[in-house]
Amino acid sequence: MAEQVIRPDLDFVKGVIAAGGDTLKRCYQCATCSVVCNVTPDNNPFPRKEMVWAQWGLKEKFIGNPDVWLCHQCNDCTAYCPRGAKPGEVLGAIRKQTIAQYSSPKFLVNIVNDRKYLPLLFIIPALILALAANFDIPSGKIVFTNMFPVHTIQIIFIPALAFGVIVGLLGIKKFWQDMKQRYGCPDCTTTNLKNSVIEALKEILPHSKFKNCGVNKDRYTSHLLVFYSFVSLAIATSFGVLYIDILGKHSPFRFGYGTPVKLFGLIGAIGLLIGIILMIKNRYANAPKVGLGSYFDWLLIGIISVIAASGILSWLTRLAGIAILAYPIYFIHLVFVFSLFVYLPFSKLAHLFYRTTAMVFNKYSGRDRAQAEG
Amino acid sequence: MAEQEKTILVVGGGISGLTAAVEAAEAGYNAVIVEKTPFLGGRVARMNKYFPKLCPPTCGLEINFRRIKFNPRIRFYTLAEIERIEGSAGNYNISIQLNPRYVNDRCVGCNACTEACPVEVSNDVNFGLDKRKAAYIPYEHAFPFKYVIDDVACKKSDCAKCVDACKYNAIDLNMKPEVIEINAGAIILATGWKPYDASRMDNLGFGTSPDIITNVMMERLASPNGPTKGKLTRPSDGREVKRVAFVQCAGSRDENHLPFCSAVCCLASLKQATYVREQYPDSKAYMFYIDLRTPGTSFERFLNKVKEDENISLIKGKVAKVYEDVSTKDIIVEYEDILAGQKKKMAVDLCVLATGMAPTVSEVKLPDEVRVNENGFVVPDRDRPGIFAVGCAKNPMDVAQSVQDATGAALKAIQILGRLS
Repeated sequence: MAEQVIRPDLDFVKGVIAAGGDTLKRCYQCATCSVVCNVTPDNNPFPRKEMVWAQWGLKEKFIGNPDVWLCHQCNDCTAYCPRGAKPGEVLGAIRKQTIAQYSSPKFLVNIVNDRKYLPLLFIIPALILALAANFDIPSGKIVFTNMFPVHTIQIIFIPALAFGVIVGLLGIKKFWQDMKQRYGCPDCTTTNLKNSVIEALKEILPHSKFKNCGVNKDRYTSHLLVFYSFVSLAIATSFGVLYIDILGKHSPFRFGYGTPVKLFGLIGAIGLLIGIILMIKNRYANAPKVGLGSYFDWLLIGIISVIAASGILSWLTRLAGIAILAYPIYFIHLVFVFSLFVYLPFSKLAHLFYRTTAMVFNKYSGRDRAQAEG
Repeated sequence: MAEQEKTILVVGGGISGLTAAVEAAEAGYNAVIVEKTPFLGGRVARMNKYFPKLCPPTCGLEINFRRIKFNPRIRFYTLAEIERIEGSAGNYNISIQLNPRYVNDRCVGCNACTEACPVEVSNDVNFGLDKRKAAYIPYEHAFPFKYVIDDVACKKSDCAKCVDACKYNAIDLNMKPEVIEINAGAIILATGWKPYDASRMDNLGFGTSPDIITNVMMERLASPNGPTKGKLTRPSDGREVKRVAFVQCAGSRDENHLPFCSAVCCLASLKQATYVREQYPDSKAYMFYIDLRTPGTSFERFLNKVKEDENISLIKGKVAKVYEDVSTKDIIVEYEDILAGQKKKMAVDLCVLATGMAPTVSEVKLPDEVRVNENGFVVPDRDRPGIFAVGCAKNPMDVAQSVQDATGAALKAIQILGRLS
């Protein structure tokens, strides 16, 4: 065998440990994890080899590595691990490192990843929104546009979302280049990108990978619910943008409850709340086997929970005419929606970009098929 | 000299207990062995061969039985359990419950009772691989060579066919448990071990197919006095066992089960691989391991010798899924071949789970002060100088180590007695 020089990156090891992979060093390479995993390809199995790479600080193994994204954190590996090394959590921590690596500006990476900045994470959006808000609210019927007129919302939220999406796209562009450089793209001429995207969507939309999870099979339901609730809410919001900005009409949300736009909004909100509650419940139910998860996980769960709860509560308090509660709750709701948008490429939600890209790449490059054929 | 000044109680009649008792008695002290089962020899009596010399266990056991038979200083009680231990080093009062054997000393071992007995139950000596009658001899060369009536399975006076069949008036179904009291100056705990319950590992398929067995069952299957008279065939359909998978660390070194290394399973599987290879020249044995643990020169040499056989494959990577292929009736083991970096499946005739050693000391009624560690093994206690644990009551270990340990413990116990006189 050719001589190989190993250059351990200790900061990478420390980063993984800090990001929830603190059990990393317990692994003794028995490979139980790779065997009990139901989503790993047979001829390139994870997460056993990733565990030793991470232990040794072989950071370069994780640059442009689509395989860590094939892991859906079912945590069957963690449940069966004889050493409590929690491979599922370690891979989660490695993915977090990937997100951090490909996202910029770096100060946002730092404040999202470090729990000591948690207050700052929401104080800044709150200040921005407070500056834009009109607190001179007339009494009488509760109308949220009294506090934030439609154009104010547009001026703040459209750039916030655009920022999140652009940073995310720049990240996956670098990620794509790294994957291509690492693995080449031998099949790229025969398989076109469009088909790969369609194939990936065929897996993502029905959540077919999640169905293979053993210990954490309930995650299928909760993730599916949260996923489609977001889709539903996005549709409702798009209607709003379409009506007001493109068609120049009044807000469609003034329509009655029977109209599709209102229904999408309501179903989305309720689905999101139920979905996120199920997720939290699952985490607690599985905690004896796999632990509760990392700060990184809970930050996203927290943001989504507050969005769902404040969204529904602002609606209910508005209907009940309790202005003293309705306006502050609505304000909190907007603070967290703003946070979700801005932190999109930095938080765990960035998996939306990276996992999708990794799945597409594996199909586009033919790795998927090569692995399936073994 | 009072009785307790000369007597050592030995709890457990396996290889450790027998050794301690024999060594103490041959040094001039009295030994009382209390054994729960109807026979002496414990786990060793149920083995096919020892590693690394591959000689049969009768080697060591026969000699010990002879030494016991001809030494008046040794008393032993089978079907006996500790009821109570009181006192302290130098002066223990011990109550022993003697459970009825229902067979007295007139038994000549003619087998008439077994033939007459209509009740069949699972054979615990063979780990359920076959059945036995409620009137039985535990195994062919059992010591003491006395038949026994299964207290639970026997219908007693409702049946009593064995009583009629016995020409020697050796069966008395009205025997009652009795309690005897003894005094001893020191106590040796040789309570041994039991195989870890393999059904607790839900991914390894034990209980889902008769062809997924444990290593202790493999010993019985290979034993000339076992259920198949030593012929290695599948428990399900009797097919010859030509492909065998040995799954190491089945429960050991696993914080969900036994967090410690059971010390003997690697050598036991290497040994069992030779059983298969010897019996069928066209057979193949596969051993799946995390690490091969064969410490010391003689064990290392044994490993190297086994490795020379190219039909024995040692594969690095733990098996984490075992199940039956419904169509072929093969047993499928799933593993990651770590050196190849591939996740694979292998079809075999028989899968042997190398289950580890669980401690059993908690099943004995001992004084509260006997301390055990977090794994259930006895820890030495300087404050209780009269009680010594030996062999697998203390730690998982092999037969040779147990024997050495028991010899040492006999000396320790003698020193306690010596200090008193």
